Amino acid sequence: MAFLSLEGLSKHFGTHVAVDGLTLAVEKGEFVSLLGPSGCGKTTTLQMIAGFVEPSGGAIRLEGRDLLAVKPAKRGLGIVFQSYALFPHMTVAENVAFGLEMQGVAAAERTRRVGETLELVGLGTFAGRYPRQMSGGQQQRVALARALVIRPQILLLDEPLSNLDAKLREEMQIELRQIQRTVGTTTILVTHDQAEAMALSDRLVVMNHGRAEQIGPPHEAYERPATPFVASFLGRTNLVNGTTVRPEKIWFATSGLAGKVRTRIFQGNHWLYQIETADGLVTVIRQNTGEAMPGEGEAVHLAWAAT
Amino acid sequence: MSRNGPIALIYHTLFVIFMLAPILVVCFVAFTPEGYLSFPTDRWSLRWFYAIGRYPEFISAFWRSLWLGALSSAIAVAFSVPAALAIGRHRFRGRDAMTALFMSPLMIPHVVLGIAFLRFFTELGLGGTFVGLVLAHIVVVLPFALRLTLASAVGLDRSIEHAAISLGASDRTVLRRITLPLVLPGLISGWALAFINSFDEVTMTVFIAAPGTETLPVRMFLYIQDNIDPLVTSVSACVIAITAAALIALDRAYGLERLLVGRSVDGR
Ligand SMILES: Nc1ncnc2c1ncn2[C@@H]1O[C@H](COP(=O)(O)OP(=O)(O)OP(=O)(O)O)[C@@H](O)[C@H]1O
Ligand SMILES: [Mg+2]
Repeated sequence: MAFLSLEGLSKHFGTHVAVDGLTLAVEKGEFVSLLGPSGCGKTTTLQMIAGFVEPSGGAIRLEGRDLLAVKPAKRGLGIVFQSYALFPHMTVAENVAFGLEMQGVAAAERTRRVGETLELVGLGTFAGRYPRQMSGGQQQRVALARALVIRPQILLLDEPLSNLDAKLREEMQIELRQIQRTVGTTTILVTHDQAEAMALSDRLVVMNHGRAEQIGPPHEAYERPATPFVASFLGRTNLVNGTTVRPEKIWFATSGLAGKVRTRIFQGNHWLYQIETADGLVTVIRQNTGEAMPGEGEAVHLAWAAT
Repeated sequence: MSRNGPIALIYHTLFVIFMLAPILVVCFVAFTPEGYLSFPTDRWSLRWFYAIGRYPEFISAFWRSLWLGALSSAIAVAFSVPAALAIGRHRFRGRDAMTALFMSPLMIPHVVLGIAFLRFFTELGLGGTFVGLVLAHIVVVLPFALRLTLASAVGLDRSIEHAAISLGASDRTVLRRITLPLVLPGLISGWALAFINSFDEVTMTVFIAAPGTETLPVRMFLYIQDNIDPLVTSVSACVIAITAAALIALDRAYGLERLLVGRSVDGR
């Protein structure tokens, strides 16, 4: 039996269907990402699990028990909101201690666990600060600490890294993954960033218009997309001779599909090509190995492995 | 200074003079010895300040105004909180009608309110009582209290409360530990604005106050109907001095801008 299961979960806002019969089983300790374009119902799904949005239909079960019958305050979930939602009038330590206080944990034990969790997210020396005195990345880690310290059964993360710059986001992804591995908390992450979802998750739920188009490990979803939407959402694709081919799986050969280089862009570790062919524009990505590569305007032939 | 041209500078100077001149004239006249309003003068005296001592009804009217303002504003704010939280964060039937109802005292001339309350309180046996004054002032200052309370309730991020709930807080705990502290700056500003309006109110109060429940402005208004001496100017000077002292103290302790604009603690 799955740890957390969503069974035909739906949400209608008037006539608009935000979530449409979503079924998903999450195992204990698993890291699952809800991935999809803006407005596809990711936040609504998460809010239904958290209890802040009431489903129009379907069921949510935690270890077989009906979670919808449990009040949001009693669900024991750790939530990191997109806006962090830190308590602005409390210090970092007070923010993190709040959940423990609600559980009636004794003061000494509270202090110990708050200190421990702040260490875990690398904010050991920031306990006395107010949220407004911290950077976005630090606030995000406070939000994570606040959710983790209550030892939640499930961690719900709603685009927690979207406000960070690229470098900090990458650091936080690694940190998040490490923390999740250390603590072993079942985690559901909402994101519209496919790279982030693939980097962090055990499994992806690729959503579109409130439905799950594909549920599976990142590698599988990337290599064997179930629908054209999944293929185009998870990275670039080409449609050549009626088959979809990933740009990095095409190479320059002495024979094959003839074409002419229209643009060539250098991106450090790889080259990005747009090739004009009889079949239309084809995108090609080649690893930068230091060798000379075809230039713009040159005639080339394209080949790829049959799938 | 360099950003403002000379014309703007002159304009602002004239504007400030225009605002301050009546106050300054009142303060000057308060220090004259004559038995009538004389200005300008070259003789100075504290005679009319000593004279206040002979009119204890001014002193008691001052304290009454203070209590009346503090009490009616506090009740108006207490009433505003649930109203503002409901109006600011939920869509429900009658929401607009409710807002309009609370704001309506702004639209009604105070003379009309005064006459209406006079009739009403006489029927109820509250005519000329302090309770009647408090009730009437609550109605008049409610829009001011509600306005600022509403502004801070609308600006409140719901997900902060959701975060508290998800951490196991009950509805009451969320209200006490999260919601109220976050709207507190709005409440304080609303109270201050309501207090100023109550302290200042004369048009309506003159109808419903009786001898023994007169507020300071009403007492002054009645006094100058029968007298032409500068006693009211010395009383005014005292009020101005007290107001200035209170504003300075508030500014030191809390920041005047924050108070009047209703900013929250963390500057959002
Ligand atoms: N309270 C609401 N009332 C009406 N429609 C809503 C409400 N909340 C969400 N929706 C609609 O439901 C759909 C799904 O919204 P949701 O917030 O779940 O999207 P999302 O996948 O989280 O998007 P994003 O990536 O932009 O955050 C959207 O079309 C949205 O307009
Ligand atoms: Mg969202």
